[in-house]
Amino acid sequence: MTERSVTHATFTLERSYDAPPSKVFKAFADPALKRRWFAEGEGWEVDEFTGEFKIGGFERSRFRFKGGTLIRNDTTYHDIVPNERIVFAYTMTIGENRISASLATCEFKTSGTGTQLVFTEQGAFLDGLDSVGPREGGWKELLDALGRALK
Amino acid sequence: MTARTATHGTFTLERVYDVAPARVFKAWADSAIKARWFVGPSDWHLLERTIDFRVGGTERLSGRKGSGIVSTFDAVYHDIVPEQRIIYCYDMRLDQTHISASLATVVLTPIGAGTRLTFTEQAVFLDGYDDSGGRERGTRILLEQLGGELQR
Repeated sequence: MTERSVTHATFTLERSYDAPPSKVFKAFADPALKRRWFAEGEGWEVDEFTGEFKIGGFERSRFRFKGGTLIRNDTTYHDIVPNERIVFAYTMTIGENRISASLATCEFKTSGTGTQLVFTEQGAFLDGLDSVGPREGGWKELLDALGRALK
Repeated sequence: MTARTATHGTFTLERVYDVAPARVFKAWADSAIKARWFVGPSDWHLLERTIDFRVGGTERLSGRKGSGIVSTFDAVYHDIVPEQRIIYCYDMRLDQTHISASLATVVLTPIGAGTRLTFTEQAVFLDGYDDSGGRERGTRILLEQLGGELQR
């Protein structure tokens, strides 16, 4: 039987991109663009990536690393202000085990001719299967991949 | 034009109830029971209530306050472990204004013959909405109303 536990934690990451907020926002809003930096990557196989980018819309991604266990991301969009803000909630599941539920806020701020992105995640990490350190590390890599995609 | 801001905050409340976790869980899971305690103040009038208590299911509670403002709670259930845990994310709107999004975690732990309930809310308040602890006070009242229901 699984020993149940919940650990709550919050982290914030900031990145500056040399692209206007409209372009950075679009990299989240357009499923084809998002898939490139969010789901694809060396060693990653994407079984499914479907999204409906609207308030109340759902996005599902199913992927695995080098043929490993299926990883699922289920996202719900809570707030969208074009070019300015996205608030979404998501759960991560590995195999049959839900490992986290999180609320994420992306704020896109004009900075000169570029964009300052402020990403805040408020997470509940479940049953000792995940924790904030690896999650923050994962988002650092994703935001770096986004930076490469914007070039 | 609205000034776009996002203010993040967290609070935790604990309550001990004199009944077993199964009964406390049921007060969240059973729509008829939840409708008795998950309600607004006396000058609040119910407009709409729907509950689909399952992972991926949604809940809506909408009501008109004495001031005439309509408040709407829209939730999605993210994790349910019977008698142990409920995690949901919810939006609050006042009339058409989206004032917050929150991740709420309810953990039920047996303590003697009773239950310790730990409620954690991780919230983002939007566009300058000044919560000033109102959400925590409101949740405290709801957990008292739950206690009243469990004594029936």
